[in-house]
This record gives sequence, structure tokens and C-alpha cells, in this order.
Amino acid sequence: MAYLISEEAKDLLQDVHEFCENEVKEQCKAYDVSGEWPKEIYDKAIEMQLHSLEVPEEYGGPGLSRVDVAALIEEMAIADAGFATTISASGLGTKPVLIAGNEEQKKHVCQKIIDGGFGAFCLTEPGAGSDASAGTTTAVKDGDEYVLNGRKCFITNGGIASFYCITAMTDKSKGVKGISMFLVDAGTPGLSTGNEENKMGIRTSNTCDVVLEDCRIPAANLVGQEGKGFSIAMKTLDQARAWMGCVATGIAQRGINEGIAYAKERIQFGKPVIRNQAMQFKVADMAIKTETARQMVAHALTKMDLGLPHSKEAAIAKCYASDIAMEVASEAIQMFGGYGYSREYPVEKLLRDAKIFQIFEGSNEVQRIVIANNTIGR
Amino acid sequence: MNILVCIKQVPDDSVEVHLNAEGKPDLKNITPVVNAFDTYALEMAARLKESSEGEITVVCMGDASAKNSLKNCLAVGADYAFLINDAAFEDSDTRGITHVLKNAAKKIEADTDKKFDLIFCGKEATDAALGQVGPMLAEELGVGVITNLIDIQLDTDKVTAKQETEEGYRTVESKIPCVVTVSKPEYDPRYPTIKNKMAARKKPIGNITMSDMTNIKAEKVGKENTLVNAIKLYEPPKKEAGVKIQEETDEDSALKAVAMMAEAKVF
Repeated sequence: MAYLISEEAKDLLQDVHEFCENEVKEQCKAYDVSGEWPKEIYDKAIEMQLHSLEVPEEYGGPGLSRVDVAALIEEMAIADAGFATTISASGLGTKPVLIAGNEEQKKHVCQKIIDGGFGAFCLTEPGAGSDASAGTTTAVKDGDEYVLNGRKCFITNGGIASFYCITAMTDKSKGVKGISMFLVDAGTPGLSTGNEENKMGIRTSNTCDVVLEDCRIPAANLVGQEGKGFSIAMKTLDQARAWMGCVATGIAQRGINEGIAYAKERIQFGKPVIRNQAMQFKVADMAIKTETARQMVAHALTKMDLGLPHSKEAAIAKCYASDIAMEVASEAIQMFGGYGYSREYPVEKLLRDAKIFQIFEGSNEVQRIVIANNTIGR
Repeated sequence: MNILVCIKQVPDDSVEVHLNAEGKPDLKNITPVVNAFDTYALEMAARLKESSEGEITVVCMGDASAKNSLKNCLAVGADYAFLINDAAFEDSDTRGITHVLKNAAKKIEADTDKKFDLIFCGKEATDAALGQVGPMLAEELGVGVITNLIDIQLDTDKVTAKQETEEGYRTVESKIPCVVTVSKPEYDPRYPTIKNKMAARKKPIGNITMSDMTNIKAEKVGKENTLVNAIKLYEPPKKEAGVKIQEETDEDSALKAVAMMAEAKVF
């Protein structure tokens, strides 16, 4: 394992590895076909507290460093990227509150997670992907309440979350400066979910629309101040992106593991194909990319732990890790030859799983804008 | 309910073990783990504790590396853990091991002023698979033993257990205190929660050596005092390549298999 982690985390890593080997890896194959959200696997993960790794210690979390947590999340991603995505997206859904919420809100969301819940982050809308200012979801203040209306789409954990952090326009005339962030509990009248996406990959994670129809919430559920929603969302994504890099690295690592295992077994011309230098160089290139991605993830997370600016590093980590996850998954298929193209074997799934990491939480084109802005200066 | 669970650290049983040049098992690069049957015993004890309150103490004979296994036990239900470690115990036979375990149990009972009501062992270890420690420990302690449990219930002064048999199970009762050995129950051992694992790492692990046990008889323990010795170890014979039978229909395949077995005079 290439993350430099504490002795404590090394111990936990063994447990997580064992859990994933016994409860996740093989089981997820069937759910990849059916597209069903594997509740029983998540129930077991919750029991083991794998879903609450990112909850801060003062709110009942384990108090591990981010790099320690990354090693555990990568282990989950090696087993199944959808599984790791569900858990990581719950952290994404919690971050707006941890970044800008008040004490009561922080306690509220963290307790929801400790009790076995998941969070969901709702920014994207049918007409507002990379351009958040085009969002049409509104929040109108009515006495001590806000009334939310609109439709969010592609929401990871949308159908299974206990709470949602939702962006909505409180002043359309101000563009992104008119966006505010709201905390809405699942079960609030007016909040419903629909249109579950039938996805290409990460099929063990739930993605659906979140619909708001005259959804009334207490004014106290405003996270931070009115008009700060976009800024909170960007800070949230600045952190969360590094985690997506971490999951993408796990996909790449699985590709290496599977490729090597297969190439050692596959005999052609009287010897295992791994003995061919062409195959060895392929593995070396896969390892160079994966290790580089991992260390970029670690660097971004370390900067976060130190309270240093990390926007550029997180964007590089997410962008690079997802790009190479695609490349490595593709090369893993190549190592398997014709069998790699078959759904009977584990590597074609990696390519399907990897693709979304180039798209969600800011497409890799947006990441390049972030990186360029941070490199060139505005 | 005061429970003692005896565990053994064994090489990971999912890895095939070969003999080295000296004819001993080559255990390099094989992760030591808690014997699977001992994990079942601990889980059964933990469930009993949770339903009736009480405490669980785990003991393990072994070198310092076994501390890790003990910490894993502390993360999944055990309250206290002791490593029984002394050069004098090395290469003891089962008689020696059970003699040490009895004296360790007596020492812990004396130190805590609490008697053990139940002593759990796995039915056997996955390395040597002798299955002797439980019954011999009961003999040493002068208490009853129920072997191969798959379930246990506690009444005020007795336990009722399901004992696994080849046909199914039978119900056996024993007064407590007694020793029980555990087979694979219907449930799996729990995974340690993240927080329990982290807390377990910080819990102290007691150390018991020869000199801590006042009534131990030196002439029963150690390599020099074994009654049973393994003279030579053999690897299991390699499986011969099988024959694949794949006729047009399942019925034809079955008929061919029977014909081949008849020809080989298997019947």
C-alpha cells in the first residue's frame, strides 16, 4: 500500500480488506448486472462504521487523518467503485454543513450519519451542469420558513439519503451570488425523488432526481448566509474532488491487480504471458500512473489536513486519477485479451466504472479550468 | 457471567502451507490470524455476554506477535486479554498447554477474585487440528465439557447446548462451570467496528509468565517434557488430475460416470 498511513490505519486497512473481500467484491457482481442498490452490503458497512470515516472526531467520528481515510476508501474502491462512491458521496453531502453550517447543523448531520444514514449533495439541475448560475431551483422566504421549488438531477445517494444539502436561488438577479445552500432532511413534505438513472457504471451507487415541490423548511436550515451557496458549493467540491481521485485510483489499482493475476496464469507460446516484456512494460506504465495519482490524492488531502489552500491540488488529483483510471482499466482489458471484453471477467466493469469520474463533481474540462486559473492567475 | 475464551494464533488457513528444507511448515509470508474456530467461540461468548451481561477474558499462548490477535479479540467483544508467554512453554504438547492454560485461568481468577463460569475453546485449531485442548483443559480443571457446540443457552446454574453431530445436533446440558468447544454456528463472527478497533489498540494486554503461576509443574511443560512428539511431517498427496465427463445430456454423463466407477471397481 503506497499511502503513508498510521499504524492504527494499517490495522484498520486489514479489517476493511477482509470485509471487502468477504462481503463486497464478489457480491457486487450481481448488483452490477441488476442495478439494484445493495442495501444488505451497506447495512454491514454501516455496522462496521465504514460509512462514517469522514465524520470529525468531535461529532463522533473516528478521528483519522484524511490520508488514513483515503487508504481505507481506496480499499473499498478496489472491491467496488460504486460502493466507495456511495460512502464518499455521503461525505460530499455533509461537507457544506461542515464548511459553513452552525454548530447545531453540524451535530445534526453528523448524528444522522453515525446513526446509519447517508448524505447527498444537490447542485446539478437538468439545465445547470457546469454552469451552476443557470439553476432554476428557487428558495423563497416566507416568515420563519423557506419554500423550495425545483428539480435536481444526477444526485448520488438521492434515493437513499437521510439528509440533503441543496443549492437554490434566493435572488435570481445576482447569478451565482444569488445562490444559497439549504439543509433538508429526508421525509420533509415536498421533497421527493424520481427518475433513478440506469447507469453505465458504478451501478451499486444510487443516482436519481431530487424534486422539490413547495418544500417548506425552517429558516434555520439555511447553511451559512444567503447568497453564499455557490461559494460553499465550490469549497465543498474543492475538498470532495480529492476523494473522487482516491476512488478512481482504487479502480486503477484493481486493474493492475487483475491484470497481473491473469497474466501470470495465462499461458501462450508455452509460458505465462507476464514473462513478455511487452506485458511487463504495460504493468510498469499502469503502476507509474496509478502511483502518481495516489500520491497526488495524498498531497491534496495532506494540504487539507494542514489547512492550506488545496483547490489546484484537489483538481489535479481528481482530473489525473480519473483520466488514468480510464487508461489503466483499458490496458487491463488489453492484458486479458478477448476475455477482458467478456462480462464473465472483472475488468470490463472497471472501464464502465471509471468513466463517470471524468464527468461528475466537476467535469475534467472544468478541472482544467480550475488548474489553469490557479496556475496562470486570473 | 464471567467467561474465559482460549484462542490460538495460527497461519492464515486460506493459504496452502508447504514444508521447508528442514521438513517443517514454511510459514514465512503467511499472516498469522486467530484460529477460525476460536473466532466462532468468541462470537458465541460475546452473544452470551450481550444477552446476560458479564465479562469476557481472552488468553493466548504464544510469542509477542500474538498480541495482535488478542487486540483483534478486544475489538470484537472481549474485555480483557492476556498473553501467556515464556520460553519454558515452547514446543509443549497438549498436556503441557492445557496445564499452562489451567494455571493461567487460576491466576486470573485469583487476581480478579472472580471465578470463570464458562470456558470457551474452538473445537480444534486449523493448523494441527488435534481437537484436544478443550477436553484436556476440562480434565485439568476437573469440570465438565461439551464439545462441538453450535449454540448455547444459559440458565441460572447450567448451560444447554446444541452439540453438532454428523446427522444434525443433540441437546446437551452441563452444570457450570464447564468447558465448551465450539464448531461453526449458523452465524459469522462480527467484524470489528472502526471505533472498537481503535479503542482495542489502546487497551492493555496482560502478560503471564511461568513465574506468575504458583502451582505450575515445570515437569509438565516444554519440549523436554512432551508425552507426544511429531516425528515427521508429510504434505498431503497432490490431487491427481480428474476426468471431465461431458456427454450430450446430463443423464448420459451420469451413466458414463457410473460405468467408469463400476469399471474401476469403486462399487
